[in-house]
Amino acid sequence: MMIDPVRRRMAVSIGGLRLKNPVMTASGTFGYGDEYAPYVDLNCLGAVVVKGLSLEPRAGNPPPRIMETPCGMLNAVGLQNIGVKAFIREKLPFLRDHDVAVVANIFGESVEEYAAVAELLGRAEGVHALEVNISCPNVKRGGVAFGTDPDMAAEVTRAVKAATGLPVIVKLTPNVTDIAGIAAAVEAAGADAVSLINTLTGMSVDIERRVPHLRNVTGGLSGPAIRPVALRMVWQVARRVSIPVIGLGGIMTARDALEFLIAGARAVQVGTAHFVQPCACEEVLSGIEAYLERHGIEDVNDVIGSLKIEGLP
Amino acid sequence: MPEKEALLDGRVISNWEIAKGHLVMTVRLPRAFGEPLPGQFVMVRPKESGERLLGRPFSVYGFQPGRRSATVAILYRVAGEGTRALSLLRRGDILKILGPLGRPFDVSHHRKNIVLVAGGIGIAPIRFLLEHLKRLAAEERPGISLYAGAKTAGELFGLEGLEPFCREVHVCTDDCSVGRHGLVTEPLAENLAAFPLDDTVIYACGPAGMIRELAALLRDHPVPCQVSLEERMACGVGACLGCAVAVRGPDGGRQYRRVCREGPVFDIRDILWDAESGDA
Repeated sequence: MMIDPVRRRMAVSIGGLRLKNPVMTASGTFGYGDEYAPYVDLNCLGAVVVKGLSLEPRAGNPPPRIMETPCGMLNAVGLQNIGVKAFIREKLPFLRDHDVAVVANIFGESVEEYAAVAELLGRAEGVHALEVNISCPNVKRGGVAFGTDPDMAAEVTRAVKAATGLPVIVKLTPNVTDIAGIAAAVEAAGADAVSLINTLTGMSVDIERRVPHLRNVTGGLSGPAIRPVALRMVWQVARRVSIPVIGLGGIMTARDALEFLIAGARAVQVGTAHFVQPCACEEVLSGIEAYLERHGIEDVNDVIGSLKIEGLP
Repeated sequence: MPEKEALLDGRVISNWEIAKGHLVMTVRLPRAFGEPLPGQFVMVRPKESGERLLGRPFSVYGFQPGRRSATVAILYRVAGEGTRALSLLRRGDILKILGPLGRPFDVSHHRKNIVLVAGGIGIAPIRFLLEHLKRLAAEERPGISLYAGAKTAGELFGLEGLEPFCREVHVCTDDCSVGRHGLVTEPLAENLAAFPLDDTVIYACGPAGMIRELAALLRDHPVPCQVSLEERMACGVGACLGCAVAVRGPDGGRQYRRVCREGPVFDIRDILWDAESGDA
């Protein structure tokens, strides 16, 4: 347990969701929370964001599913998950036993599926917010990802908002031309916050065998390789919308997290870093506290959006 | 609150190239590292890993508990950038190690005949299992048959000192440089009928081709067989779902299991091969 002589104020508020600190886990990198419980005190975290949930269980993609790339990794897990009902029955009780905000990440192949998953989670005890993954293909619209079209992104947001009273965070894909435009569309549709970025679509080839390293050919790139892109997008979106922005993409250390906070993120998510250091979240958190102390800042909120740019208001 | 498990610092004691591109690394670990069981693995990465971030999974090859520290050994082949970085570590270098991880071989069945099948560096968990079996009192010790194969004589490792503990040792090489020519499953196929089905168990680890041959062979011989599998991993603890292996689900359909959590040891009959799973 950390002893802090001058207790820094670390709590942040994300559209109705109050977090004891701004450090969350990123969906898909922390399982359902129980996998990392032997390594991390979940009670220290701002929030646990669980692996994406669909209405029915999904088997996921055939292997190989992952490949390490310079300063990052590609994954094509294929949204494998146990389904929302099994999550509520088998995983939620464990999380409920901890003093930590639980954010359920959800996805669907249709607007109706998103709404159905949201409704089930809204009625479950122990879920504090939803994070809506809109990077999935819309099966009814020829497989175009919901998150690449402002109208479809807004439609999903409205449907989820109508299905639940929980705070709704919309997780944005970076695989678009104008991410701030998508953010503005989901804000107008009622989103309580946005989180960004999801993975960047990438690829890697085994030149000896002349085959893709991933069975799925393409995969989502994560890790520090994408951090500058993520940071730029968080900065752009934070200037465009008034709802809170949660920043993620290759955050490995407190220094990285502070970049996002200073650029305008109200909170951060730590993802791929867990695979390198299971207690990455705790290290990021204690590093932020040390930074505040070093700079004589009492409240982390005073850092958020404090970026100084010459010539810009 | 129980003490949390953690990524630990290990200190390289030795990192020998025992054959071209094959190394044995021994690492001194703090006492906090739990005693591994045969079949379990560790995630290892250099402390300063540069642009390579992820650890690499290795079956435990050997383990020596000590009063103040413990020593773990891994046997590995330089297969890519991650293992190349490990191969460059020298005595005294620090690495990061997580473990022991995964489900070990189940040795609780008390069958009188044990057949061990190893291909290439697949000998690592098999040798560690043998070390465990050696500790059993002589009268409790089952009869052990070892089938070990490799590309060439120089790549047959881990057999030193085992013969006294084995009823028989069969060696095969692809290039005929030692032992019999061909796959290690061939002599096994000839001898398998001699083992009583209800008093024999097989433990295996090796390349996919060998496991596949073994699975095909065992279709006609219902001997229990546990096999240790390999897959690329990111986390090693079950969170990333990267290390999937296709298995037969309860309804006969295809499901994925995590090599790091439900494995690395599986019942060979649960594994779905590409043609069966529709993956091909």
